[in-house]
Amino acid sequence: MMRTVEILIVVIILTGAFIIASSFAVLPWPRQVSPVNLRRLALTTLQTLDSNHELSKAAFGTDNGTLWSDLQVALSASLPPNVIYNLTVYNVSSSSGSGVALYTNLASISNAESLGASSDASSYFVASSNVTFDVIPEKIGEHGGGTLYILNCSDANGWWITGYTAHSLADDLYKMLSPYFVKTVMVQNTAQLEKILNGTALQGETVQNAVIINTYGEAVPMPAAYNSTGYYVYAPNKGSYNQYFYLLGQKTRQFNWTWASIVGYPMYYVSNTGLFPTDQNDWGIYGMKSVGSAGFNAFLRGLSQIDYNAPWWNGTQWLPAWWQDSKGNWIYDHGSITSELTSVPLSADAIYYANYYGIYPAAYQTATRALPTWINSTYNLTVTTSLFDPVNNYRAGAVYRNAISGGFLALGLTRTPDIRLTVLGLLCDYKPRLYRSEYTAYGTSRLVVLQLGLVGGV
Amino acid sequence: MAGATIDHLVSVIIFLAATLLFISFFNQTIQTAVIYQQHRAVATKCSDLLDTMLLTPNNATIRTWTAFGLQDPEFTQYTLSPFSLMRLNSSTGTPVYYEKTGMTYSNTTVGLGNFLFMPLSDVVNYSSALRVLGINSTYGFQLTLTPVVTFNITEVEVQHSPLSLSISVSGVGFPFANAPVNYRLMPISLNGTYPNYLTIPNQTGTVYTDAAGSVLVPFQNFTPNENLTYAFVAYAHVGGLTGVGFYAPPSGNQRVVPFVDSLLTQKVILAHSYDVPNTSVGLPDNLAYNATFVFLNEDFNFQEMPLANSTGNVTSSAGYPFGAITIPSYNPGILVIAYGNGATGGVVMMPWGLGSLAFPVTFGGNPAEQEWAATDMRQVLINGVAYQAKLSLWSYKGVQVIG
Repeated sequence: MMRTVEILIVVIILTGAFIIASSFAVLPWPRQVSPVNLRRLALTTLQTLDSNHELSKAAFGTDNGTLWSDLQVALSASLPPNVIYNLTVYNVSSSSGSGVALYTNLASISNAESLGASSDASSYFVASSNVTFDVIPEKIGEHGGGTLYILNCSDANGWWITGYTAHSLADDLYKMLSPYFVKTVMVQNTAQLEKILNGTALQGETVQNAVIINTYGEAVPMPAAYNSTGYYVYAPNKGSYNQYFYLLGQKTRQFNWTWASIVGYPMYYVSNTGLFPTDQNDWGIYGMKSVGSAGFNAFLRGLSQIDYNAPWWNGTQWLPAWWQDSKGNWIYDHGSITSELTSVPLSADAIYYANYYGIYPAAYQTATRALPTWINSTYNLTVTTSLFDPVNNYRAGAVYRNAISGGFLALGLTRTPDIRLTVLGLLCDYKPRLYRSEYTAYGTSRLVVLQLGLVGGV
Repeated sequence: MAGATIDHLVSVIIFLAATLLFISFFNQTIQTAVIYQQHRAVATKCSDLLDTMLLTPNNATIRTWTAFGLQDPEFTQYTLSPFSLMRLNSSTGTPVYYEKTGMTYSNTTVGLGNFLFMPLSDVVNYSSALRVLGINSTYGFQLTLTPVVTFNITEVEVQHSPLSLSISVSGVGFPFANAPVNYRLMPISLNGTYPNYLTIPNQTGTVYTDAAGSVLVPFQNFTPNENLTYAFVAYAHVGGLTGVGFYAPPSGNQRVVPFVDSLLTQKVILAHSYDVPNTSVGLPDNLAYNATFVFLNEDFNFQEMPLANSTGNVTSSAGYPFGAITIPSYNPGILVIAYGNGATGGVVMMPWGLGSLAFPVTFGGNPAEQEWAATDMRQVLINGVAYQAKLSLWSYKGVQVIG
């Protein structure tokens, strides 16, 4: 009997041990075993809200009810319904003397009275616009003009833009240049190009004083209307479409445009995939016709208001506009006028503005279609921006302006095009100022703490 | 003597029974604690793995990934590449076979008329993701990316009246109240050889939602009919949170179906729906199409980019090739394809980059088939659009839950 009693005492001791052990070995709630990482969720929520600096604006605009209302809507909308929050903004300042950072509670929003038993928080520093590096460019043509047209015609093909498409170049040019212009318009097809050639705005923009960038390299999109034989005189040789370029020169003068040619020989081909579906440019690119050097010569004549059929002086005698060389080829005006320069350096001006605008193309380039300096006197032009130093009386890239009206940027570089040079050339010429935000160190940081808690479940 | 023996036997039996009982009690407590610890380890692994996936950059155009990463290499933190996400083999959509290319495509389609088909040869499948993550045969997972902001767009039904669209915007947990909504209507004429995108007054604009996140957008200058259809895209943004919504009216049985041919070449194949999956054996049916590409600028304005060879025809039945267009940009945007043949017509949209149409994507195994899975989530940005990334992770180590 005694042993049974002893064993019962042992059982009581074991029971006691189990009860005591169980009371210490408290198993966690399922929510604690597999918690949502509230700290990371809070941090990523803060980062998302600050992706467009909206959180920074709200943190520095604690007295702006609209901003805080928007912030509360965004917080409530972004977090799951079972997650409650408290967002607090602290001002960070340093005490005089000790330099210890002091945090002052400025504002707080919450969607619950308490965050429950388990919660976690993340903190995030935001900087005011005074320290956020920001640049606001002056708009070109703010007081008249200021339109940038980028040719992005779906019914044309490019040449000498190897490695790119006109659309991708247009896209990049849009990103780089649109902040500098009052209005940037993508010219989506040749029908729209025809409209602006007739002086009709596409999106309410100002046509006068515009900049037109041809992203098609040596080719230029041509509206179908300019294929009419009744209206445009056909020349005897393959340069027949140079009448179109003569018209472009006239329009450039009429509307005081700046025409930008991004690479190669300007205006060497006309392109319209609908008009020339079976024609190619001698190099296998269809939808294109070769005009040759006659195109740019006609443009220069149109720009300078020289009659299309006027004779010209070749230094020894007067020749008709269209003439035949010793091999019987038909030549218009001066014929091919460009030259090849193996290495041309960026001019000092270009390097200065490269630093100013933060655009850094290679300092030395190869030009195979550099224009001669004599065109200035022949066509009444002034070089307003020289991107490259002239070499042997040839310019690899420059902005030329007619004494009366109109101008053009010609980059006679070899392919493939570097559109940063186009951007740099135009910015060098217009010189829009950059208003950089001022850097100040005082009162520039605020701490945002987002505390999250879970409701419901166990 | 007999009494002492009985006492001894009884005491031994009681002692053995009590010992076994308490061993069982303690064992159960200890085992449950071990399982809880293992679950906690899975939860920690889940959080780590989710960060690994979201914070590892990857080149979307490289065919074989050596690391499973979705971060946009041009950004930091939780900004994901819209093109890497296109390469996830959706585990919810049934793969689609297209006989004319002889290929099967991963299906991330959302509703009828909004397609995203990627060739299986170009997508990352679940088993290779497990392998490159180093958790092959030890863990399984499901990654889900869902847009934070959702749109519900419906036509206000008044026949022969100008178009009016009712838009309702909400977040995960709350209506998107008092939010500016930038929209673009793309009216399309189905007359003519090819559908034609029209320009009308006030086709773009900004409206504000009310406290319930709703707003009505009327278009006084546009009344759709059998020859006039449209596509509608809208962006809502408030407090740093951005969402995308889109709508195109339902169309007939025939439609153009876009298949991404390759991310690298940026080529999209256009098929006649009668040829999907198998080439139609009936009489040929033709659809003329006109495609365009729309993307959003940083200032929430829409920009349209024309496409080379944007118009063409797709004809069902054998002997007729599929159409093809090339998207000229690696900027995320929306490929809009209007189609028609006189009798029927409509619009289909395809996101170029996952975030541009706020398509959700689910990748990986099925947690519903598992005994226990840990879950964690993050807020991420895809092309500026807010998403929630949720990872469910489970272990294959044979842990059993008892008690």
